[in-house]
Amino acid sequence: MFDWPTRVRLWDEALTGARACLRAAGLREVSTPIRVDAPAIEPWIEPIAAGPRHWLATSPELAMKQLLCRGSGSIFQLAHVFRAAERGPRHREEFHLLEWYRTPGELPDVIADVERVVATIFAIVESVIGAASPRAPRRWVRVEMIDLLRETTGFPLVGDESAAEIEPLLARARARAQVRWTADDVDANPSELADLLAWTELFSLWSDLDLDPWLARQDPELGVHVVGFPVMLAALAELDGARAARFESHVCGVELANGYLELRDPHEQRRRFERVAALRRRHGQGELPMPEAFLATLADHGLPACAGVALGFDRLLALAAGCDSLAELALDELG
Amino acid sequence: MDVSELKKNAKLEIDGQPWMVTDYQFVKPGKGQGLYKCRIKNMITGSVVDRTWRSGERLEAADVESRQFQYLFGGPAGYTFMDNASYEQIELQPELVGDDYRFLMDQLGVDILFFKGRPVGITLPSHVIMEIVDSEPGVKGDTATNVTKGATVTSGLLVQVPIFLRVGDKIKISTESGNYVERVNS
Repeated sequence: MFDWPTRVRLWDEALTGARACLRAAGLREVSTPIRVDAPAIEPWIEPIAAGPRHWLATSPELAMKQLLCRGSGSIFQLAHVFRAAERGPRHREEFHLLEWYRTPGELPDVIADVERVVATIFAIVESVIGAASPRAPRRWVRVEMIDLLRETTGFPLVGDESAAEIEPLLARARARAQVRWTADDVDANPSELADLLAWTELFSLWSDLDLDPWLARQDPELGVHVVGFPVMLAALAELDGARAARFESHVCGVELANGYLELRDPHEQRRRFERVAALRRRHGQGELPMPEAFLATLADHGLPACAGVALGFDRLLALAAGCDSLAELALDELG
Repeated sequence: MDVSELKKNAKLEIDGQPWMVTDYQFVKPGKGQGLYKCRIKNMITGSVVDRTWRSGERLEAADVESRQFQYLFGGPAGYTFMDNASYEQIELQPELVGDDYRFLMDQLGVDILFFKGRPVGITLPSHVIMEIVDSEPGVKGDTATNVTKGATVTSGLLVQVPIFLRVGDKIKISTESGNYVERVNS
């Protein structure tokens, strides 16, 4: 737990440092509205309502992509974002996302950015709190998620399997995780929705059962980028054969960032929103409006080739300061 | 209730049994489903198990209530208690009271747990104070503190106590272990 003057200094220097790091790489800072009329439709991210037909943004993604469509060039934002019911040592309902897009840009470009931002923040924290701070990752590796899935579960997965094909693996994961499921969880008819349901559930359980323990076994000074996601976990990333061009970055076993080679086709984008909307209905999650303004901008102007990342800034700062909980350096009293 | 309302000490009904959340942890891969990893304790049997719920799941809150009673009288056929608020009397079956009968003495305050209006368990105070009613006198000169002797207390329970204690002394006994804790000055 840091005293208040130290917390203020940490935040001041970290915010300044992150901005300087991305500006030096040629990105411009933007600030998009926090209150939106169409948040991104995501499976397990629940927006908080803010008045009739409005929500607090769960990420600045759609607003920033509209700027990219309109010729902003490479941009970044340090955004306050809100996600309902996410409460825990490394979760809170309001937090800072450092989100950026490089255009033109490929995944290796933004992966390199993540490494630079992480190194910058670790160095800043060390300059404030001294040698007691944890060491920054000395090196980074990229691991294919499918390979890791195969290795940890022993199932010969490729990444584009159907719900029926991964059902035995899912059943085993449910049993190991001590969750129960009902017939509602299983969609008997083969469909994209059934595949999405199965893969998102498998991913959630596997992350907890296998990925986190695997990460915990690695050298603490090794940063890990998990790349090459299964097709059904593409979210808003382009596909690359049987894999999605998406990555997640982990430091000291903690997930810090999520990045995509951004999907540009407005029709495919709408299809993915619709598929997730169906999944949300299935799970009884609130109906969200289709982000029509975003889709129209995508169709009218076209999204330039770009890669983007969202990084949990509070988490990075906590990690660099050796804190197990965000509360230890938050700028408010966290209950 | 929605699983996101889970917190420590929440009381849930699962398969017709009341359970209490004794520990819980929220984990969530960024784009994945949140998991609420809980340790839950059966409020009747005391058994502890780990259970994980996923975000979006619905849980049933247990209809449980704990009320304060005092012990009146009883024996092998049943034990009678009086509700401190309503003065209503209830009789609990010996199997519900279990080994706790050893500590029951006149006017002892206890909590009785009701599940759907039915008594399902009894919670004693962590310690009770009882008087030694029968014990052999200690051997004169033996002052070693780790030497004990048997002593019968008010409820009939036999406790090992230090050898210097006498009939009429009041002692504190742990209801968890049934062991002597200390002498109480009265």
